[in-house]
Amino acid sequence: MNGFAEGMASLLDPTVGLCLLLGLGLGLLVGAFPGITATMAVALAAGFTLTLEPVQGLAVLLTIYVAANFGDRVPSILVNTPGTPASIATTFDGYPMAKQGRAGLALTISALGSAVGILASLVLFIAVAVPLATMANKLFGPAEMFALVVFGLTIMVSISSKSLLKGLLAGVFGLTLGAVGTYAITNDARFTLGLTDMRDGFSFIAVIIGLFGIGELFDQLLTYRKSKVKPISSLGRWWPNKSEVKQMGKPMLVSGAVGLGVGLVPAAGGDIAGLIGWDRARAVSKRPQDFGKGSIEGITASDTASSATLGGSLTTTMALGVPGDSVMAVMIGSMMIWGISPGPGLFTNRPDLVVSIAGIMLIATILSLGVSLVRMKGMVKLLDVPNHYLWATILIFCVIGTYATTNNLTTVIMMLAFGVVGVILKRTGFPAGPVVLGMLLGPLAEKELGRALLIAQGDFFDVVSRPLTAAMLGLALISLVVPIVGRLRARKKAAAALAALPAEREHAPTGV
Amino acid sequence: MNPKKALVGIAVAALSLSLVGCTVGTAAETKPKEDAAAAEPVSTFPEKPITLIVQANPGGGSDLSSRALADQLSRILDTDIIVENRPGAGGATAMEYVAGLPADGYTLGFGPVEIAMLNTTQGADVLPENYDLLGQIMLAPGVISVSADSPYQTLEDLIAAAKGQPLTVGNSGTGSIWEAAAKALAGESGAQFTNVPHEGGAPAVAAVIGGQIDAVVSGAGEAKAGNDDGTLRVLAVLHDEEHPNFPGIPTAAEAGYPLEFGGWGGIYAPAGLPTDVHATLEAAIKEAVASDEYQAFQKNAGNLVVYRNSADWTTFVNEQFTRFAELLG
Repeated sequence: MNGFAEGMASLLDPTVGLCLLLGLGLGLLVGAFPGITATMAVALAAGFTLTLEPVQGLAVLLTIYVAANFGDRVPSILVNTPGTPASIATTFDGYPMAKQGRAGLALTISALGSAVGILASLVLFIAVAVPLATMANKLFGPAEMFALVVFGLTIMVSISSKSLLKGLLAGVFGLTLGAVGTYAITNDARFTLGLTDMRDGFSFIAVIIGLFGIGELFDQLLTYRKSKVKPISSLGRWWPNKSEVKQMGKPMLVSGAVGLGVGLVPAAGGDIAGLIGWDRARAVSKRPQDFGKGSIEGITASDTASSATLGGSLTTTMALGVPGDSVMAVMIGSMMIWGISPGPGLFTNRPDLVVSIAGIMLIATILSLGVSLVRMKGMVKLLDVPNHYLWATILIFCVIGTYATTNNLTTVIMMLAFGVVGVILKRTGFPAGPVVLGMLLGPLAEKELGRALLIAQGDFFDVVSRPLTAAMLGLALISLVVPIVGRLRARKKAAAALAALPAEREHAPTGV
Repeated sequence: MNPKKALVGIAVAALSLSLVGCTVGTAAETKPKEDAAAAEPVSTFPEKPITLIVQANPGGGSDLSSRALADQLSRILDTDIIVENRPGAGGATAMEYVAGLPADGYTLGFGPVEIAMLNTTQGADVLPENYDLLGQIMLAPGVISVSADSPYQTLEDLIAAAKGQPLTVGNSGTGSIWEAAAKALAGESGAQFTNVPHEGGAPAVAAVIGGQIDAVVSGAGEAKAGNDDGTLRVLAVLHDEEHPNFPGIPTAAEAGYPLEFGGWGGIYAPAGLPTDVHATLEAAIKEAVASDEYQAFQKNAGNLVVYRNSADWTTFVNEQFTRFAELLG
């Protein structure tokens, strides 16, 4: 317990407090800035924090990490543009809620969900980091990763809210996009047209900002004169009422568990967890039909899940020395230079530092939650800005943010091109969610399978017959078949019901 | 590196500092007098900030080394050094970009070992003759390791086992220096290795510890934590002398296979710098590498400071280029 006291005491240093506040401001800002990810902010800050004491430096970096996870929800909800990839699923229900005049409620619920997710994952980190991370590292080889990713791909069915066919087509489009670039296992270039700028494939950041943010912007541009789209002039209520709080319980539990699990898998982060969490919560929900149309359960699920990966990533990073996500990769670089080697040894040699890390994350979460709940009143004014100014500003931010990822204009052009794709998809009723999912998971599945086959000396049966792999692939099959059958049945029923009650059909635009 | 080299380095750097300080005509020292550029009146380079292009994302090894050097260069040349990250295509994006810029000394690049590999591995237009290679500034030697509960106690054990049946050996990615190292070891010893690429060195090391693969070739930095914890058994260091972070662990040569593989890095410019600018930059880089701050930085980062001047590094890069073309082509 000596380490505990020491670790906590080192946080009482006023300079550490200063570092926390600095990280908080930076994190919320970069999170809310589409294109600028937490990784980039942490990496740039790392250049400066190397001269600080480790605890001070960690305070800046970890607080940016946590605060960005709150900031990135804001543009997702208000303007359909994910601040960072972790908040892709937030747009599914957040933006529809905002359009319904319930932006305030969406922001509050999103912040609460995020806080619960992080705090739960921190408990895990403090209690069982080393055994858990070691176990995950032993159990999860490439074959198991492959199965997990295949399971993730089955979500395409549930995020195809309107038409299953269009959703799956969009998913295939996403898989095709993901196939562009260098295949990591063989290092062969595919569909790059011989261009160096295409060797890494389509920039994921450029695609998500283009499809969601710029696509929405173009759509508004096209409808502007008709003034069909009402600006989000009111944020509505801030606090959820009793029944709404009740609705948050189940998705928090389900998607929180998803987030904790996904967080422990090194190659998967908040973006994947948000999507899977949203899907699982929908599967157990009593009102799955509301998901994607402004469901409180939906936004709770996506944000709890993506935030719950933070503790998991921290666990694999600190207990194994394997970066849990890209932010943590930068963090390891900094720690090595401070002379701290993350790994099981960290917990026995420097328990004080482990306590400090958990303490910093805890304080950062509480501060971020506080700011998120108070700060937002100013947002009303921001949204009173006429639409043409608001969207013009957003466009500038998106361009700058995307450019900053590579310092290369090609990435910006890609983003604008995907804006055009986004508006076409939107106007033809193809959902953007499956596109992103396919692009995110397709290459991952292929890579893990390739690696697993190498290890198994090319024996496919050996790969899929591993117990955990087989179990997860079985689950994937079930989660693929059940909703499709259910949907077909429901359609038959609905058709019958519709014949009897034609007035009940609801006109509901979807953001997915 | 050996202490004698370091001492000489510091001495030369101190000398060059005084030379750069009063007149930038240090070119006269190394280049023949009749050279047109050297005969010109006193050069005023640099007159404006210099941009240093880094081929990887901020926060990684290349970026941190570049920034540590840029701090010193900025002091020595008395101008701002702007570090700009242009990641992509394993570094080819940045290297092709720099090659196309004017050779005036105001754009430099950090050149990792990939500068000698990308032409072979990706067919990228990255050739040693496209650049003025100004000086090598660091080296991260490779190590080969197995899990602590592995039956293989020595490199000899591992290779003996791999002669009977193929063993899986992880690396940081296809076309990486560590894949080349594993291939060279297999070629030299007759062992059968199945090379398994990962997304970087740390995941590859973790895969060995987790029992997914039999062995791993990685940078010394990535193996340090596991070695210290006792979860990883480092079998050999792929360098010509003992690594300070791995006391008692044999070099590959001591283990019977004289192989040297390392992630080196240096500073390059577009080919065809004016002679005086080339000399000024080369001297400044040498001095920056010798500075206490830079040396301390690399020590903390777990890397070795191995300096090569422009001529030596150019020869070395060309040799490596040929070697990788044979190994990976």
